[in-house]
Amino acid sequence: MDGCQSGVPTYEGDLHVVAAAHHIVKALGATKNLSDDLRKILIDLDSHLSMITSNIDSKGGRGLVDVEERLDQAERKIMRWETDPMMIWDSGPKEASDYLEAVDETGKLVDGLRGLSVHENRKQKEILHRAMNILQMAMSRLEEELIHILVRHGQQFEPKHMYSRSIRKDIVYDESFVSVEDEPIKETSSRNYSNDESGECIVDLVHADVIPDIKSIAKVMFTSNYGPEFCEAFISVQKEALEQYFSFLGTENLSIEDVLKMEWTCLSSKMNKWTWSMKIIVRVYLASEKQLCDQVLGGLGSVSSYCFLEISKATILCLLNFGEAVAMGPHRPEKLLRLLDMYETLACLLRDIDTLFSEEAGSFIQLQFHELLERLGESAIAAFEAFRVAISSNGSLYPFAGGGVHPLNKYVMNYIRMFPEYCNTLNLLLKNQHPGVADQVTEPDYGLDASLLTSCPMAYHLRSITSCLESNLHKKSQLYKDEALQHIFLMNNIHYLVQKVKGSELRLFFGDEWIRKHNAMFQQHAMNYERATWSSVVSFLKDDNPGSSSMSKSTFKERCKGFSVAFEEVYKTQTSWSIPDPELREDLRISTSLKVVLAYRTFLGRNLAYTDDKCVKHTVEHVENSLLDLFEGSSRSLRNSRRW
Amino acid sequence: MTGTDQSSFLGRISIRRNQVNAMEGYHEQEIEDLELFQKQLSDRFAELLSAPDDAPTEAFLSISWIRKLLDVFLCCETECKAILLMERDAAQISKPPLDRLIPELLERVVKAMDICNAATNGVELVRHCQKLAEITVSALEQKPFGEGQARRAKKALVSLMSAMHVDDKESSVQKTAERSWSFGRRSGNKDRHHGHYRSLSWQVAKHWSASKQIHAMTMNLAAPRGPEASCLPAPVYILSLIIVFVMWVLIAAIPCQERSGLTTHLPINKHVNWTHSLAGIHDKIGEEWKKKEKKGMAGLLYEMQKMEKLGQSLIEFTDSYQFPGEKEKLDEVAAQVAELAEVCRRMDEGLVPLQMLIREAFHRLVRNRTEFLDVLEQGAPVV
Repeated sequence: MDGCQSGVPTYEGDLHVVAAAHHIVKALGATKNLSDDLRKILIDLDSHLSMITSNIDSKGGRGLVDVEERLDQAERKIMRWETDPMMIWDSGPKEASDYLEAVDETGKLVDGLRGLSVHENRKQKEILHRAMNILQMAMSRLEEELIHILVRHGQQFEPKHMYSRSIRKDIVYDESFVSVEDEPIKETSSRNYSNDESGECIVDLVHADVIPDIKSIAKVMFTSNYGPEFCEAFISVQKEALEQYFSFLGTENLSIEDVLKMEWTCLSSKMNKWTWSMKIIVRVYLASEKQLCDQVLGGLGSVSSYCFLEISKATILCLLNFGEAVAMGPHRPEKLLRLLDMYETLACLLRDIDTLFSEEAGSFIQLQFHELLERLGESAIAAFEAFRVAISSNGSLYPFAGGGVHPLNKYVMNYIRMFPEYCNTLNLLLKNQHPGVADQVTEPDYGLDASLLTSCPMAYHLRSITSCLESNLHKKSQLYKDEALQHIFLMNNIHYLVQKVKGSELRLFFGDEWIRKHNAMFQQHAMNYERATWSSVVSFLKDDNPGSSSMSKSTFKERCKGFSVAFEEVYKTQTSWSIPDPELREDLRISTSLKVVLAYRTFLGRNLAYTDDKCVKHTVEHVENSLLDLFEGSSRSLRNSRRW
Repeated sequence: MTGTDQSSFLGRISIRRNQVNAMEGYHEQEIEDLELFQKQLSDRFAELLSAPDDAPTEAFLSISWIRKLLDVFLCCETECKAILLMERDAAQISKPPLDRLIPELLERVVKAMDICNAATNGVELVRHCQKLAEITVSALEQKPFGEGQARRAKKALVSLMSAMHVDDKESSVQKTAERSWSFGRRSGNKDRHHGHYRSLSWQVAKHWSASKQIHAMTMNLAAPRGPEASCLPAPVYILSLIIVFVMWVLIAAIPCQERSGLTTHLPINKHVNWTHSLAGIHDKIGEEWKKKEKKGMAGLLYEMQKMEKLGQSLIEFTDSYQFPGEKEKLDEVAAQVAELAEVCRRMDEGLVPLQMLIREAFHRLVRNRTEFLDVLEQGAPVV
């Protein structure tokens, strides 16, 4: 045994040097703003120096006896728990801190002894061996305690407290265009983004009270080089907790094949759920997880972000895969709004994702997010195109009974009424679709400047959609044999179109000019209807010789009869026609009344001499009242009814 | 298999198609393209087959070998698509028998995407094994070495072994996933590490099975015969076969959800020149699989197998170790630890790039499908 190896002082002078060094280390250790790394180094140095001192003091063993005593003490404290059925941290803070102290002490002894282990001192080696055994046992125990604390104090939070689930009307696009209910949709209530914009809602995934406990376990495990074990245990519990939360949200893993084969209604609700889960998982859960990692592992370099990535990666990939599957599915028009929801959700989470996964190892996740966003954008554009194509190609074999508002029209208008909510996104996505339009767009913020709104890409596309719709409606009108009904149909439908535009935010995008033009259009159809139906009827009442006082009785009779027959015919047909809008119906009746009743009254008045004759089948009042029955959508007849 | 090879090949097709489109001799040119393509395929797979069984780097089924395989896959995919689609009239693609073959190909593509995702999850499990092996290495490398470190190593090794012999059956996934948290003091803790990789995220979907996917992908996968063998059905078949083959290798090498019965024979026509090496690789892996399947295992990945062997030996050592231990034994262990450390290092280097490559293959399949669908749509007769 040679006692003169470097680093082991045997002379008085060295003793002083060691003492002085020890003093300096202690003084440095008292400084407050030390980084954790530096503090650890100082602590190590401190224990190392005290070991040297005790060794020098002993001059052959007394120091080791001291060390052994300290180890005995620590061992007792540590071993006591090996047989105790209780968990240490459950038993009270005193127990926990005693235990940690003992572990800390053992760790210091190990470090100190190891510093000296170059000597072939058997006794010393033995103590070191024992100390390392004890330390290993303690570390294994701490790992268990850690898992226990994380599981026991892990907190689940109710997602509904975090976000009001967006209740949006589900409009189901259907090949047969089953009419969607034509009730007003409260646009403002359908999307509640206020919560989202207000930023992170961080919750405690693990009860705040136990964070210091977890931290102290982390500290002692990392100090003793058991960091990897800490990470494995921490990741495993937190990862499983996230997965449980994921399934608690009702989100399940789906293969791409499953998603591609899914029925639309089912897919639609899954897409909704995805949008919702994605926000909660990223904004709330992952933000909170990140905070937990930083709280517990903050001072340990990249460890925190490593753990965070390992915990979250699988779940994030699972969410991303669903998004990919949706984006690659068939681009059906009904998917558009859901796709836009998903797109907007991702777009507004991008910043969070970039922050959460800012480290290099997380760039993989970042990249996948950006790729998916792009994919969803493309898919939304494709669905938008499919929507336009579906509108133009929607064909009918038979005329739509009654000439009322066609379901296609209702469907399309109710659908595009949702578009203004997605204005910014749609503008962004559609910008490149028609370069000519894009030039006019300068600002993404379409405040209140109406003229700007009417020239944004979305406005252009909206108008192009309605013009597709209009030309399809024109095609559909050609299916009616009766020219008057063609006009009723077009009047109804264009009126509906205008009403939908005027009654919603759409008016800002279509502009006054468009509305004026379309108002004139349906009015023109109303006039055309009147001409087509009533001109021939009223022609019976025309005075052929305005100069002479009255016509002959036979002519009068003939005219009267002609009028009655024609009027009854119109009555019979047109009571079955339909003008769903009460105001429009009223207006048309009034203007018809003005034309027909006035002519009839004049006709009868001019031929007063014959009016008591039986040939006057209908009184003026009767004609006037009968007109009120028109366009109610249920066929009636005047022939057999004797209501007067 | 270099990049220049590929770009010149693509350039050749592109120029050719532009020049001779719709002219006499076009068909002959196509046959020539196809032959050249098959020759390249043959060379690439021959290179893969010639990888040594046991070598520190580039061994058969090692991480770097699989990365090479995926590179080959990406190249083939690009070239095959070029032969099929470049400068081609969409109407040709929607004529029989392609109107049946292409949709079948696309169904395989969708299944392959799910397999890529399963493999991505599988790589996570391999990475987990790597972390446990790293703990083992650091425990066994400790100086001075004692029982404490032996116990530490053993703890990590036990977790490692159970991670490796993960039961990929769905039943076990379900059971673990539904297990309640309420385990008491210590009793349940032993199971903790199992939960880590039997977790829900390991699943592609409920009831999903990797081997069933492969089986479904091989349906109707038959080499074109007669005149079809030299025209468009040929590249469709080649692309299909390569997709199925590469996915099959991925599943065999990397842990995946439900792999029992993976030995399904792929319908590789051995009478065609270019498939010689492919069939060789298939046979070799099939043999390996049969040998190992019954024992339950994490996959045929070279590094994992190595890790398994070293792990078993080290676990025996830690079991019987008594302080201070025999010098000879300790030296032997030190050599094994060094080997394990080397395996960890290779995993550390290769796994993340491998995962990214698998993801790239996934995205490629997605794009590939979109392109084919677009062409089918263009070529569809107007109703």
